[in-house]
Amino acid sequence: MKTDDLIGLLAADAAPQAPLRPVRIAGVVLAAILAVAGLFLMLAGVREGLAAALQQPAVLAKTALPLVLAGLAFPMALAQLRPDAVRPRWWGLLPPAMAAAGLWLWGFSVLSPAERFADVSAFSVTECLGLIVTLSILPLAVLIAKMRRGASVAPARAGALAGLAVACGITTGYSLFCTQDNPVFYVTWYGLAILLVTVLGAVLGLRFLRW
Amino acid sequence: MTNREAEWSALLIAAMEGDGRAYARFLGLVTPVLRGIVRARGRVLGPEGQEDVVQEVLIAIHTKRHTWDRSAPLLPWLHAVTRHKVVDAFRRRGGSVHLPIEDFAEALEAEAEPDAMAARDSAVLIGRLDARSADIVRSVSLHGLSTAEVGARLEMSEGAVRVALHRAIRRMADIAKGTEK
Repeated sequence: MKTDDLIGLLAADAAPQAPLRPVRIAGVVLAAILAVAGLFLMLAGVREGLAAALQQPAVLAKTALPLVLAGLAFPMALAQLRPDAVRPRWWGLLPPAMAAAGLWLWGFSVLSPAERFADVSAFSVTECLGLIVTLSILPLAVLIAKMRRGASVAPARAGALAGLAVACGITTGYSLFCTQDNPVFYVTWYGLAILLVTVLGAVLGLRFLRW
Repeated sequence: MTNREAEWSALLIAAMEGDGRAYARFLGLVTPVLRGIVRARGRVLGPEGQEDVVQEVLIAIHTKRHTWDRSAPLLPWLHAVTRHKVVDAFRRRGGSVHLPIEDFAEALEAEAEPDAMAARDSAVLIGRLDARSADIVRSVSLHGLSTAEVGARLEMSEGAVRVALHRAIRRMADIAKGTEK
């Protein structure tokens, strides 16, 4: 086919296209996260004495940090929908990441050696990692599917940011159920769960967000 | 250069409202510039290979045109799409190229050279469509028929021809990005 013929062909397909609506995509994905996390909390129940527990800074941080990270990562992921997006400002994620690291170190220093890893058991780790990763899968699939209409020039990065945003959103919900209030425990295992979903997002991005 | 931004974005906006003539004009203006970029960067590909890359970029512009935010300037969007597809196309052909983004900015703002490549035939994309899609694509592109005329010949509604054409172009985009054999 000659290029001029191709132009004629493309011009024949000039039907109006629905514009890309990042805000709408955000709405759909947030709804998916709320539905999944909400259903989980309805079935499993929030922890006993949630309101009282949230008065403790270490417990509040368990919910607040993933919430803040989700709030930062979502706009970054959605910006990747357009090819002319500015590069993500990774340093924006640094404050909550540093806070999490600080919390871990604080927890490590105040607890006696016996207490530090007292909560770690095959069951508790599997519960925490397994639930966060499992609950993230559906909203992540929704987000990646929606992002296929976009045109990211860095598909793996776009997918990773999508994974990060979804995992942080789900973790926020999960933290209302979880009774592990030891920062050494939850920073480690929440962090690992979020990292796993981020990597999963990158893999999905590489596979599904190429164009 | 501001003229080009204004002219091209006005044409693409009209095109996105469904104005095929404005769209053909827009693509006609973009193509020689693309060709200049591809030719300067991809000498190893030879003229035919270069023209295939030009066509791949055009198809990408087409299938992703809705990702342009109309409230933002068009040329940066165009640089980004072009750069991404050119790098991708060269990489898939086994060559690695260094493509500084400034080249695109300059090329998109420079005047296009008259080109001898416009009439060159490259048959890669149609060749891999199924028979009916290829027939529709050929009728519209090579023979210049309207979708209504194609519909009459194939005993399909014009709407069905449009849908088939749209799908065929998407398929060509998938072929071009190498995810379909």
